[in-house]
Amino acid sequence: MLQIESLTFRYNRRAAPVLKGVDMELKDGEIGILLGKNGSGKTTLFKNILGICTPLGGFILFDGANLLKMSKRERAGKIAYVPQHIQFGALSVFDSVLMGRVSRFGVKAGKEDYAIVESVLADMQLENYAARNVEMLSGGERQKAAFARALAQEPKLLVFDEPTGNLDIANEQLIMDEAKKLARDRNISILSSLHDLNQAMCFGDRFFFMKDGIVKYAGTKEQFTEAIIHDVFDSDVRIIEHEGEKIILGGNKNAN
Amino acid sequence: MDLSIFKPHSSHTKLIVRDGCPVEKFGMAKLEEKSYVHQSVSRKAAVIVILLFAVTLLAFVCLFIGSSHMSIADCFAALAGKSTAANTRIIWNIRVPRVLAAMIAGAGLSVSGLIMQTTLNNSMASPSTLGVSNAAVFGANVSIIVFAGGFLATGNNLSNYTISANPYATSLMAFLFAILSILLILGLCRFRSFSPNVVVLAGIAMGSIWTAGTTILQFYATDVGLSAAVIWNFGDLGRATYKTDLIMLAVTVLGVTFFMPMAWRYNALLSGDATAKTMGVNVDTLRFVSLLLSSMITAVCVSFLGVIGFVGIICPHVVKRLMGQDHRFAIPATILGGSLLLLLADTLSRSMGNGAALPVGAITTLLGAPFFVAIIFSKRGDVHAAD
Repeated sequence: MLQIESLTFRYNRRAAPVLKGVDMELKDGEIGILLGKNGSGKTTLFKNILGICTPLGGFILFDGANLLKMSKRERAGKIAYVPQHIQFGALSVFDSVLMGRVSRFGVKAGKEDYAIVESVLADMQLENYAARNVEMLSGGERQKAAFARALAQEPKLLVFDEPTGNLDIANEQLIMDEAKKLARDRNISILSSLHDLNQAMCFGDRFFFMKDGIVKYAGTKEQFTEAIIHDVFDSDVRIIEHEGEKIILGGNKNAN
Repeated sequence: MDLSIFKPHSSHTKLIVRDGCPVEKFGMAKLEEKSYVHQSVSRKAAVIVILLFAVTLLAFVCLFIGSSHMSIADCFAALAGKSTAANTRIIWNIRVPRVLAAMIAGAGLSVSGLIMQTTLNNSMASPSTLGVSNAAVFGANVSIIVFAGGFLATGNNLSNYTISANPYATSLMAFLFAILSILLILGLCRFRSFSPNVVVLAGIAMGSIWTAGTTILQFYATDVGLSAAVIWNFGDLGRATYKTDLIMLAVTVLGVTFFMPMAWRYNALLSGDATAKTMGVNVDTLRFVSLLLSSMITAVCVSFLGVIGFVGIICPHVVKRLMGQDHRFAIPATILGGSLLLLLADTLSRSMGNGAALPVGAITTLLGAPFFVAIIFSKRGDVHAAD
């Protein structure tokens, strides 16, 4: 379980704080979606959870242990990251995924590491790409490779920054389904940012709406109301119901 | 945690390579199977073995070529200590230390270049990026011009300065300034947590300061001092002795014993600082120690041999183009590639100079640059193509 209490952060001493007391809680096996305008602090919150940035104050607890006091290696065994801008070296897909396990094997990969990578590649339907140079893959395939790398890390929490930005609908579906399956089968929590609100409702269990450096609204699908979305995104939307599912329509209904 | 969930589901998920293409296994005979992983590893290992063989071969060729026109039989006899005293001395006191110097300095400069490029995330980085070479040149110039270090006392006879009063004075001075430069830059960059661009820019600035200092020194130098200083700048493997070889070897071995186990962490660093951190890599410490060690290797080589340019850029790039960036293989391949290039350059420099050896630094560049450009522009093996 991930618990964050009054987390504050600023990029340097002269800058205004980006996070002004974030509180949130994500249970094991839950998919949490972080929503908010550009610049509302979503990526900064991720960086603090991942240990890329050190918070100014507050607590981040994972399964009751203080994340801020863990070594990078210890933390890497619990939390994996799929960044928004994916970068690899000129390595094969197999080696790129195997690299996710560096915090576990350190110097030399063993049989178990190879077995896990093969299993993850099969899950992600990347087996036929294993020998290919990861830099020569298409954007969608690289996204899948980055996801596979994070899975090979065997995390308890997976952090996704805009996971579907580069994907076509089939790959988007594959990633989302795979992520959902993971959360259910392996009891892994997922924390992801998404821009598409309909996609978010479809994918997530719990939603955190960020505004002005805090989590202003949190909860389940019930939180998606025209009023909250207007407050968080400064945008007018209409919410309609179709076969019991909410659908959010963008655009001003009076514009036409 | 429970690992069983990550075990392969069934045998058909195993990756097999047949006829060069990965295919899935559907009940093929076990003997035909070859896992993709092993295929790839053995191909790269083969390249390394070939390089090793080439270096050994060239080292012997290099031993047999020289201005004294000894036959190959003479050379073997001299190696075994069964030739004339003069021949034995030529082989053991002149050629062997020189060949060893070429192999060690080539390896050291080349692997430093690879590590610099990876840790600074910059393909233009080279062993001299932190201003190491410029600082060493300044130090040597101070020794030669200000203190008339070593060989000025012997007048215009530049070739015998290494046997003058204190043959190490100039090298020591060069080394001290190189280390000073490294420590200054790494110290300064601590404040910005070793952001790669900051390190590169600070290195360029520091290098320019040393170069400006050198220019001013040379402006006030006497004719003899100036020419001595300029000659020092030319990389020359002929300055090597067993003692200098041993020191260079010790520092290079120290570096490589750190670099090799870090191979996977360097691979992780290729994904960017932030991602590498989330994979458990202590990026700042890794960068600091890597930069320190690779600069040390460069400082020692440059202090003893003078400036030998381009090895540290060309070898890592050629290796990366041909074999990819997996540091488990790129590090040994770069080491051997550097030895090979410097041996080749030295052999050429000694056979082209009509008795006197041309500056080996110029040869490495003359030899390397066109090859380098050809590799960069070739479509084949273009691993950096955008998707």
